[in-house]
Amino acid sequence: MENRLTAYWLAAPSALIFVVLFIAPMAFFVVLSFWQVDYFVLTPAATLANYRDVFVNYWHVMAFTVALATATAVVTTLAGFVFSFLARFRAGKWAQALLFIVLITLFGGYLMKIYAWKTILGNEGVLNTALIAMGFISTPITTLLYSPQAVVITLVHFSLPFAVLPIYASMRGVTDIEVEAARDLGAGRWATLATVIVPRCQAGIVAGFSFVFLITAGDYVTPLLVGGKQTMIGNLIAPQFGAQFNWPLGAAMSLVMLLVAVAVIFVFRTLVAWWSRP
Amino acid sequence: MSKGANLLWAVVAALFIVFMLSPIVLLVMFSFTSRTLTNFPIDGLSFRWWQEMVVTRQFWPSFANSLIIGFCVAVVSGVVGTLAAMGLAAMPKRHASVIMALLTLPVMLPPLVLGVALLSFYVSVDLKLGLPTVILSHVLFAQPFVILVVHARMVNFDPRVVESARDLGATPLQAFLTVTLPIIRPVVIGAALIAMALSIDDFIITFFTIGTGNTLPTLVWGMIRTGLTPTVNAIGTLILLLTIGSTVVALWLTRYRG
Repeated sequence: MENRLTAYWLAAPSALIFVVLFIAPMAFFVVLSFWQVDYFVLTPAATLANYRDVFVNYWHVMAFTVALATATAVVTTLAGFVFSFLARFRAGKWAQALLFIVLITLFGGYLMKIYAWKTILGNEGVLNTALIAMGFISTPITTLLYSPQAVVITLVHFSLPFAVLPIYASMRGVTDIEVEAARDLGAGRWATLATVIVPRCQAGIVAGFSFVFLITAGDYVTPLLVGGKQTMIGNLIAPQFGAQFNWPLGAAMSLVMLLVAVAVIFVFRTLVAWWSRP
Repeated sequence: MSKGANLLWAVVAALFIVFMLSPIVLLVMFSFTSRTLTNFPIDGLSFRWWQEMVVTRQFWPSFANSLIIGFCVAVVSGVVGTLAAMGLAAMPKRHASVIMALLTLPVMLPPLVLGVALLSFYVSVDLKLGLPTVILSHVLFAQPFVILVVHARMVNFDPRVVESARDLGATPLQAFLTVTLPIIRPVVIGAALIAMALSIDDFIITFFTIGTGNTLPTLVWGMIRTGLTPTVNAIGTLILLLTIGSTVVALWLTRYRG
C-alpha cells in the first residue's frame, strides 16, 4: 500500500507540469476563442463571431490545408510503411542501420531541413545547378520551388520518421511464423501483405498518419519558406499572435483546425479498420 | 528471394537513405563553400562562412541562450521524467498507460498551437516572457520522451535488487542512490540528452514564448527571411552538430530503438 502511493507521488511533478502548462493554457485558449478584441484591447465576451469568421472567410484556406495535409499524410504513411517493411522483412542485418538513420533525423534539424529544401529546389538551387552542370537541362526548372509540390516534399521529408517509428514498432510484432503460415495456406505475396501484415499494423499505421497529419496541418514555416501564393491555415494563425493582434480569432482558427484534424484522423481510422475487417 | 527482388529492395533502401540524408549532407557541405551562393559548382573549400558566423551580430548571445535553455531542459525534464517513469513502472499497467497517453498529448499537438496557447497563457497570468518561459514550455514537450525512454528500461528492471538492499537495511533513498541510480544512469543521461536535442532544435515554440532575445533557430529564422547566405549553413551545421550529436550519444547510451 505504501509502495502504491509512492508510485503516484513520483509521477506528481510531471503531472503538475502537465496540468499547469497544458491543461490550463488549453482551457484558457478555448475560452479565449469566444472573446473579442476592441480597439486593440483583449475583451472577455461570449461571442461566436470568431468561429463565424473562420467558416465564412477562411474556409477555403482550411480546405486547402486539409487537402495538402491529407496528401502529405497519405504519401508519408505509405512511404513509412514501405520503409518499415524493408527494415523488418528485407534488410536483415542492415535493419539497425536503417532505423538509426530514422532516429537521428527525428530529433534534429526542423528548421534546417526546410531551409535545406529551399536551397535545393530554387532556380539557382542545388538541383537545378547540378542538372545544368551535368547537361540534362539548359534552363532551370522554375516550378520546383514556391509550389504545393515543394511544400509536400518538404513536409514528407521531415515527418517521415514520425510515420516510420510507430509503423515499424507494430510491424515488429508480426512474427515470421504468421507470414509463413499465410504463405503455406496459399496466400500470394500481395494477399499476405493485404490480409496479414496491414491488419496487424493497424495501430501503427493510424498512429503514424495521425502524427503526420497533425504536424503538417499546423505547420506554417514550410509554406512560408518553400510554398507558393496559397497559404495554409498556420500562416493565418501565426500573425494573429503577432502583428495582426487578434488572439481570439487565432484561437478559433487553431481549434477548428484541431477539430477538423481529429475528424480526418477518425475517417482514416475507420477506413483502415474496414480494410482490416476479418 | 530472387536476385532481382533483392536488387530492387536495395535500390529502394538507397533511395530512402538519399532522400532522408541528402538535404542534411548538402546543408553541411555548403557551409564550407568558398562562393557566396549555396549551389554547384563548389570551386573550393573555405572557412569564410564559419568566420562570418562568429562575427554575426547576435550570434554569441543566441548560442549562449540555446545552450542555457537546452541544459536546463535536460536537467529538469531528466529529473522529473525519471521520477515519473519510476512511478509509472510501479503502478498497475492500466493506470500507467492512461497517464502516459495523457502526458504525451502535448507532443501530438502542432507546435504552432502549443506555442500560441502558451504565449496567451503566460501573458494572461502576467508571466514575463524570457528564457524561463521557454524552458517551462520545452520541459512540457520534452518530458514525455524522457518518460518513454526511461520507462522502457524500468519495466525490465528487476525490483528484487532494490528489495534486497532494503532488506539489508538501506533507506529508500540509499537504495535509490546506491542500487537503482547506478543501473539506470546511462539511460537517464541518454534521455536527458534527447530532451536537450529537442530543446535546442525547437523553433516554433521558442519563437512565441521567448519575448525578445534569440536562440540559434530564431536567429537563423531572421537571417533566412532577409536573404540566403552560406552563413546560415554554418549556423545550421552547428545546430545539427548539437542536436544530432547528442542524439547519437543518447542512442548509444540508452540502446533505445523505438
